[in-house]
Amino acid sequence: MKKIFLSFLGLAALATPVLAQTGTTQNPNRIDGYGAPVSPSVPVNRASDETTIDIIGGYYQQTGTHGAVEGGRGTQQLTDVPPTIIVNVPLDTVSRLTVNVGADFYSSASTDRIDFALSTPSARDVRAHGDFGYSREQKAKGTIWGVGTGVSKEYDYLSFNVAGSFAKTSQNGNRQLSLAGQVFFDRVTLIEPLELRANYTAGSTTRRGDYGTDTRQTYNLTASYSQVLTKRLQAAISTELVSQNGLLSTPFHRVYFRDNPDQNTIPTLSENFIARFPTAARIENLPRTRFKYPVSLRLNYYASDLVQIRGFYRFYNDNFGIQAHTFEVELPVKVTPFFVAYPFYRYHTQTAATYFAPFAQHSIADTYYTSDYDLAALSANKLGLGLRYSPVYGIGRFHVPGKNAQGLPRVMRFKSLDLRYAHYQQTGASSYRVSDRADLVANIISFDLGFAL
Amino acid sequence: MKKSLFLSHPRLALGLLLLPLGATLPSCVSVKAYQKVYLNDEDMKLASKTVETPETSFESYREGAGGANGGKVGGGCGCN
Repeated sequence: MKKIFLSFLGLAALATPVLAQTGTTQNPNRIDGYGAPVSPSVPVNRASDETTIDIIGGYYQQTGTHGAVEGGRGTQQLTDVPPTIIVNVPLDTVSRLTVNVGADFYSSASTDRIDFALSTPSARDVRAHGDFGYSREQKAKGTIWGVGTGVSKEYDYLSFNVAGSFAKTSQNGNRQLSLAGQVFFDRVTLIEPLELRANYTAGSTTRRGDYGTDTRQTYNLTASYSQVLTKRLQAAISTELVSQNGLLSTPFHRVYFRDNPDQNTIPTLSENFIARFPTAARIENLPRTRFKYPVSLRLNYYASDLVQIRGFYRFYNDNFGIQAHTFEVELPVKVTPFFVAYPFYRYHTQTAATYFAPFAQHSIADTYYTSDYDLAALSANKLGLGLRYSPVYGIGRFHVPGKNAQGLPRVMRFKSLDLRYAHYQQTGASSYRVSDRADLVANIISFDLGFAL
Repeated sequence: MKKSLFLSHPRLALGLLLLPLGATLPSCVSVKAYQKVYLNDEDMKLASKTVETPETSFESYREGAGGANGGKVGGGCGCN
């Protein structure tokens, strides 16, 4: 046992020069089916030649009264369990393979209202995803390049993506420039609100339609520059230019109008649905092109051995008319060298998309229209606490099948445990009537179990 | 619609974004590898934590703005 500990210490010491750089990670969270981790990174507390495994999970729950399926009013109740496993394997001393697979098991009261029969298959579903990345480092040049691909599948969606990345670190490891490009190819099944499907019989509560399909392409270009500023301070500035073409609206989102002459033909509904609006809805309609221009700054300061300060700010702009600012601060407190408690706070504010209006406030003369509150003017506060326990020798260890290069039984080490809770609350802009303001409240608990092999 | 000061003055916001970086860049020093004991701390990583993934994910769905933080910016499914 002692030999294993000493070997591990030796590996950790060998890894130190590798870690002695600015530490920017491209797309670290882009791991769940919307982009491969094109530049796999080794967690700080694990050696660079170890296979690392992260098991991520949690529980998300939200409530609100402005569901887009019912035209900007109606329940937004949703729960999600999103398990994901990330495996990062060193193939040799310079190349790594990253695999992450997972799923979202969710139940949505909102999508259950696409038709008028509750607890139908639309009430709950699964989104599965898998991503694969390969990276190769040229240590003499300080460069890393990577490629990746991924796929995700949901009941109405199929998405493929490919990605490529390049990063160059300065000789002294104090600066890093990284570039990444990604392309997504999505196919959407056009599941429309029941009463708006062709051949709908007035009064019917459920009927499977003959759904068509549409496509969407998304092109991302990310550039990040990170810089060590002092022995205790480092920063990174990032931008991510996004161009989207194709179907950008959601086909099962209803929009009601203040001046639609057509009568509503849906059946008389129970109290589980919102009251029937007298005039008919239409399907949400948005432009088929969108450009996004977010720019962000991260600033991390090692204030003392007890407290560090992690800051983040983002400015966002797009051609839908949304401008947004996001501030985030996190204060990791080292209760002991291996136990960290980190309270965090996030504030987000955004203007509404040009095409957004609350329930029944659009005119049928509008070319584009949506009552999806994700695109409304709102501010959001998030407050929470994270706990991380990561002792040097790990939390535990156990044997796994197979033998290592020395012919000894393979040992898996349980290295770290990260647990986090956040409370999130949206507040609608005061320019809306009180009943039309965003009121979404969410709670999320998540964990990351870190293993090394 | 009434906008906040930042939203009505995007250039001001961009200036404020670059101000901290501009203020600290002149103080850049060449930090040697053996002097990076603080910078190599887990909490000094210039990226969001892996455990934040589910949160970043739901924020990208529930807000009209996203990107430049390692989260989703478009493409793929999960729009409920």
